[in-house]
Amino acid sequence: MNAEPFARGQSGRIRLHVLPTKKFKTYAIVLYAGVPLSEAEITRVALIPFVLGRGTASFPETLALREKLDSMYGAHFGYDVGKRGDHQVVQFRLDVINDRFVSSNTPLLREALALLGEVLTAPALEDGRFVARYVESEKKTVAQKLDAIINDKIRYAEKRCLEEMFRGEPYRLPALGRKEDLDGIDATSLHETYRRWLRNAAFDLYVVGDTCLEKVTTLVQGAFRLPDGPPGTYAPSLPRQAPPEPRTVEERLDVTQGKLNIGLRTPVTYAGPDYPALLVYNGLLGGFPHAKLFVNVREKASLAYYASSRLDGHKGVIMIQTGIEIANYAKALGIIREQLEAMRRGDFTEDDLAKTKEMLANQLTALQDNPFERIWFDFNASVAGAEHTAEELLAKVRAVAPDDVARVAQTVGLDTVYFLRDRKEETVHAGA
Amino acid sequence: MPALEYPRLEETLHHERLDNGLDVFVLPKPGFTKTFAVLATRFGSADNRFRLADGREFAVPDGLAHFLEHKMFEEPDGDVFARFAANGASANAYTGFDQTVYLFSATRNVDRCLDILLDFVQSPYFTDANVEKEKGIIIQEIHMYRDNPDWRVYFGLLEALYHRHPVRIDIAGTPESVSSITKELLYECHRMFYHPSNMHLFVVGGVDPERTLETVRANQARKRFDPPAVFERVPADEPENAKEPMRQATLAVAMPKCYVGFKETDVALVGERAIRRDLVARIVLDALFSRSSPVYQDMYDEHLVFDSFGAQFTSGPGYAFSVIGGDTRDPGEMARRVTEAMERTAERGLDADVFERIRRKKIGAHLRLWNSPEAVAGEFVRFRHRGGDLFRVVELYESLTLEEANGWLRAHVHPSHRAVSVVRGDAS
Repeated sequence: MNAEPFARGQSGRIRLHVLPTKKFKTYAIVLYAGVPLSEAEITRVALIPFVLGRGTASFPETLALREKLDSMYGAHFGYDVGKRGDHQVVQFRLDVINDRFVSSNTPLLREALALLGEVLTAPALEDGRFVARYVESEKKTVAQKLDAIINDKIRYAEKRCLEEMFRGEPYRLPALGRKEDLDGIDATSLHETYRRWLRNAAFDLYVVGDTCLEKVTTLVQGAFRLPDGPPGTYAPSLPRQAPPEPRTVEERLDVTQGKLNIGLRTPVTYAGPDYPALLVYNGLLGGFPHAKLFVNVREKASLAYYASSRLDGHKGVIMIQTGIEIANYAKALGIIREQLEAMRRGDFTEDDLAKTKEMLANQLTALQDNPFERIWFDFNASVAGAEHTAEELLAKVRAVAPDDVARVAQTVGLDTVYFLRDRKEETVHAGA
Repeated sequence: MPALEYPRLEETLHHERLDNGLDVFVLPKPGFTKTFAVLATRFGSADNRFRLADGREFAVPDGLAHFLEHKMFEEPDGDVFARFAANGASANAYTGFDQTVYLFSATRNVDRCLDILLDFVQSPYFTDANVEKEKGIIIQEIHMYRDNPDWRVYFGLLEALYHRHPVRIDIAGTPESVSSITKELLYECHRMFYHPSNMHLFVVGGVDPERTLETVRANQARKRFDPPAVFERVPADEPENAKEPMRQATLAVAMPKCYVGFKETDVALVGERAIRRDLVARIVLDALFSRSSPVYQDMYDEHLVFDSFGAQFTSGPGYAFSVIGGDTRDPGEMARRVTEAMERTAERGLDADVFERIRRKKIGAHLRLWNSPEAVAGEFVRFRHRGGDLFRVVELYESLTLEEANGWLRAHVHPSHRAVSVVRGDAS
């Protein structure tokens, strides 16, 4: 079951990746635009897609743009700002129905690419700069999103733990940047940032659906008006070592449940030869319901509803997360540290190893059925400079030996223990 | 095995009802590597009162269906997740108001995984010790949701809208109700609600339909089932008006969250009529409140709401309601504007061209769903439980009329059927 490969091409500064397939009822389109993370620019860059989404030269009014998307059989348009290693990556997504399934008079792929090209390269302007009212409005939206991180305590605890781990680096910041920066941004300065960003960003355009590279190349040439130059590139990030002793950070909020996040570091990253072993390590530790964290923290000790670990292969970071009764903090931390020790000793069964590989195989195989996951996987590999397909990575995962996992486990160091807890005890102290 | 062709969707559905009453559906997706199977029972958090054949009434504690879902994963020889993992499959389950759904996704060993799925859901194993242990886990799950403002504002609305209907009860129950659950009660509920004739199996993905059906037939032929339990659901005696106009809660949030909801009074609809009403409601709510609506855009431009704002319509046996809202700096003002927009449109009617545009958008969104076997499986069983057919949604959308839409909105917007739920940060 070899998956069809992406056909690669180029149109000016945009790298093109097209996967011709009749498997789906849609065309999935993603444009990635990445720049190195910069303390000074992060908030401005984050704001760009929000303003671009408000209007284009042909549809300067937001409502008209959205009505246009509706009339394209509900073309789904979205954008997102994220971090990939030491890059800030803006992602635009368009999902449109293949015309075959609807009685449409206009070819929807052509319309979709034309619209995406216009959103990116021909925004609505007034007096040669961004529309001030859109900039002001989207500043408020970004501020609200930054504020709202605290609403979801699981996400908030993860964000805080990362902040502590990456003190002094731009990576500590959320991809949307800093609320304090927003005040200093106006339509003129943001438009300047945008024009610089267009000149510098690395652009990758993906299309998955019933089409081909030649067709997409032709459509893109007419639709995107980018400055000339060679395509931009991504530099892999350099992982840091964990300190000899982990830092412990405790924070208090009005919560019922405590959130324990533990940040781990490893020098092994996505493009390295030990990455397949690291994937298996994370799977055994906390990637699945048969993993050590789920079994020991939840099933055996009954301490939590969720207990898992997640790997960021770009930064060499593993984040453990669990939600516990506040009084059980020491107990939970003790059990988790025991699991890390067990991994270092290579203390896991052949059977657990086999299961973990099967589960990773399931994930790597299943992503072929989802156009956006295929795009996501290919882009992640290319950002990291790892030239593997999902099948090639899977073959390497299958070849991982117990010793490989133990060797990787030796490199994993405990960096930060973050605990979000209630205010109760604090109130008692204050009153005493 | 009859095959139903849906040429417009380019899909073919295979269906068979086994002798024991289990409904089996197979949707082959040529070229897909993944197979997704869901086994669903018509027993959810809102099914809590029954009348048995002997006239006795049988009531279950809040959170029982969800507790049962958790406990099904435990077997004498260990955990079900591990058996799926050995076959490279990932398993999960969820409990809704009207159903409990067990599922797996696999890229290999589909026949073996089907056996595991059918076997673990059909063979309960509860002990006093494993039931006690689960209480700790579920209470943590309840605490997790209590800290979640989206969950709180949603259930706050249902508590305000409904007097007695069990849809107002938190799906996981409360620490107290969960503590009262025993293994005897779990066995009893399993016997009543997990009979094959109360369940559907839906398999979608890269499978051969005949082979899949043969696996299921052989699995079921190996098992003996008691005759199905005879019971009927006791409908909640639910008044038409909302219980109270407003609910408020305090939580650590950056900005208030507010939902406005209207309770539907015509809750007896079943089958395609219920589905049709749901689709009408979705078109109207989308026309009024989606990102391409002037009402949303005006509120957004005034920074009254943000892109978390949205509207949805939910229905099931004995309940149906709309929910409109999101983060807002001023809950009172947002609720006023939402209500005013609905009342104004109910009076004047939707524009014909807006109706057409949203209809088209909804058809596109529905077609996109068919890309995702998971989504198709989840929606299929949901529709099936209502007596509807997911495969007919495009045709239904095409047959809807503007008059129907306007008629629905006029009946839906009624001041005494409205409630508002607000979650605020601690002001002190």
